[in-house]
Amino acid sequence: MNRLQESAFPPRKRQKVSEPVLTDEERLLFNLIRSRENIGIWTGDMKRETNLPTTVVNKSLKTLISKNMIKEVTTIQNKGRKHYMAKEFMPSEEITGGHFYSDGKLDIDYINSLKDVCLKCIFMQKVSTCEGCLEWIKRSGVFNTEVTTKQMEEILQTLVLDDEITQMISTGFGEFASISVGKTCYISKSKGGVRGEKKTADLTSFPCFSCQRMTFCSPDGTISPATCVYYQKWLDF
Amino acid sequence: MVSQWGIKFAVYLITNHFGKIVAKVCENLLNHGALTLDLAIRYTELSSEHVKNSLLVLIQHNCVQAFVAEGGDDDGSRVKTEYMVLFDNILHRLRFPKFMEIVSGDLDDKCAKIFEGLLRDGRLNMKQMVDRESQGKENAAAAAAVRESLLKLLMARYVERCPLPEARVVEREIITKKRGAKGAQNFKAPETKEQRVIEAAVRGDMIRFSLNADIGCNSDGETNPADTSVAETDAKEDLILWRANFEEFTRHLRDKALVENVRARMDDGAAIVLSAILKATRNKDKEVKIEKSVPLPPDTIFSEVIKTENGRTMTIDRVKAALVQLGCSNQMLYEYVVDLKHIIRWARNEEVESIVLKRYGRDAYRMFRHLSKENQFCPTDKLADATLVEKKEAPKLLYKLWKENYLHMEKLSVTGGNTKPVSILMWKVNQPLLWEHVLDEMYHGALNLKLRMASEQEKEEEIINTPKAKINESVPLLKKYKRLQNVLLLLGSSLMKLDDAIMLFHDF
Ligand code: SF4
Repeated sequence: MNRLQESAFPPRKRQKVSEPVLTDEERLLFNLIRSRENIGIWTGDMKRETNLPTTVVNKSLKTLISKNMIKEVTTIQNKGRKHYMAKEFMPSEEITGGHFYSDGKLDIDYINSLKDVCLKCIFMQKVSTCEGCLEWIKRSGVFNTEVTTKQMEEILQTLVLDDEITQMISTGFGEFASISVGKTCYISKSKGGVRGEKKTADLTSFPCFSCQRMTFCSPDGTISPATCVYYQKWLDF
Repeated sequence: MVSQWGIKFAVYLITNHFGKIVAKVCENLLNHGALTLDLAIRYTELSSEHVKNSLLVLIQHNCVQAFVAEGGDDDGSRVKTEYMVLFDNILHRLRFPKFMEIVSGDLDDKCAKIFEGLLRDGRLNMKQMVDRESQGKENAAAAAAVRESLLKLLMARYVERCPLPEARVVEREIITKKRGAKGAQNFKAPETKEQRVIEAAVRGDMIRFSLNADIGCNSDGETNPADTSVAETDAKEDLILWRANFEEFTRHLRDKALVENVRARMDDGAAIVLSAILKATRNKDKEVKIEKSVPLPPDTIFSEVIKTENGRTMTIDRVKAALVQLGCSNQMLYEYVVDLKHIIRWARNEEVESIVLKRYGRDAYRMFRHLSKENQFCPTDKLADATLVEKKEAPKLLYKLWKENYLHMEKLSVTGGNTKPVSILMWKVNQPLLWEHVLDEMYHGALNLKLRMASEQEKEEEIINTPKAKINESVPLLKKYKRLQNVLLLLGSSLMKLDDAIMLFHDF
């Protein structure tokens, strides 16, 4: 997994090697690319900013690549565009998409399995922290890639948004005894079995709440409750 | 102003109960606001006879209040009575079974029977109640028994004296009333015209819940009751009309909703304590939509808690812990106040979120929850990042939510250097607007349920009209009959649950 290896290393410092001899155009272009650091720059923007003709730009880019000074990167926003960056920089999250992106695509399967493991960990331990989950994952050996702290934080945040876990601050007492006071920790929501008890939409299987055609539905329209297929299914005893 | 589907739903209920003509008058009042008789006739294009009778029906059933607006620019010589429709009271008609349940659970059968009569007929005087009770019985029901039941109903505030037949409202009245020194500090939303009319018509608590005929009839109240003869008292009593006090039931249901929400979110202990606080302060809050509970010292709370069976298991420390859980403030003054508004808000949020989850799926749910937590504009990419939603999918989902009024969107044009401007979409949850929208959808949903009930009944009319004995004989008929029963039961119970949610967004 290329993505994981990359994100596991911090951006490298500029290498202090003696710079190869370049033409004026090549130097101009290289300086521009390098000035964009870990964001890089699109060929269209290069042309506009340097006012160099397309052929010159293309030729110079080729030279710079062959001299191992720049590299081409895929950007999440526009996969079709040719985007370049100085060799010494790691593409920023803006370019790659973030921690869980590989080749400009979100790795949903990976995310979901991470979520499952975290949920299990928090449920079993009653209460856990980001480090606790990381430790659990390491010991479980489910993943052969290393999960970073940042990734774990993101996973836990989405689980909070999923309403699967609750974020708390440890009081150091009772069930929080194992966690030092004031530390952010997480508890499982399914534990108490009270999840969603008061939500009407969950209490009834009444179809209009899950219906995306409500705006088109009216008593005497083509879509109406009297003829509605969702109702038909619902009332099929 | 009532929302579009709210009006449709209310008109449907009135059509169902009182027919098309009354509904037409009602619809015009809902759409145009208060109208004079002349205007009502003009808008409805009905005969004056029809309009007048419709208004009388609506007044009888507490769905319309008459009032006279005083003051204004002219000298007041040509003031005319206006009629204002009371939307809330129309919707309460849907809740009669819930009200009935509360009364039967609390008081005896006789009271329940009298109360049922009041719900059915809207307004009744003592004589009518006695007559109703005597119907089909050999010896007439003793007036004393009816009086006793009514007294119980009044004590519990389930029944009240009807408001003034014609309220007087001063136009451009200074509406910010002082509600004690504390109240003045809180900003209060300006009252609507409807609220003002209702407030002007309502009688003082003393009169409102008093059976005594002398109070209210004699404005000076100087005549000694002993001086008046029995016949006179009876005659006076017949002038007084009684009706169900919807406000009390709304409060009752509100308290129940609050307690149940706290139970679901926290635990039984917190629920017991909140329930005790609400019980101890009953009738102290003037309105249903209150923000905070009335301040109470811990001793009062504790003695109320131990009145209940479950509460007796709690120690003072547990009660205190529950109070902390409830986020009680003001411990410094040794008085506790619960932020009820907060509980209501939380419950509303939960409802909205669960609709988003059901309708738009988990990714949308996460983004929506993130936005409502942040409570500020957030650009698409950042939102997708924070919720781990595929960047290509996020805009599609957000657009859908925006199109159906669940999100607020703003386009930002960003220019950087000499690159051409890029537009960034920013998203936000606009809670007050969203709640209005969700409420409107709930009215729509409730109407759909009602319409489906009607169409199911229509489809199976044959069965409804077949005698029970005949149905029992034939297997296919019996099957159909059973199905219809199940269908109606499911639709009915769903409607009641949906109505709980409607009350959460509209009445509490
Ligand atoms: S009646 Fe049917 S089509 Fe109409 S809103 Fe409900 S589920 Fe959707």
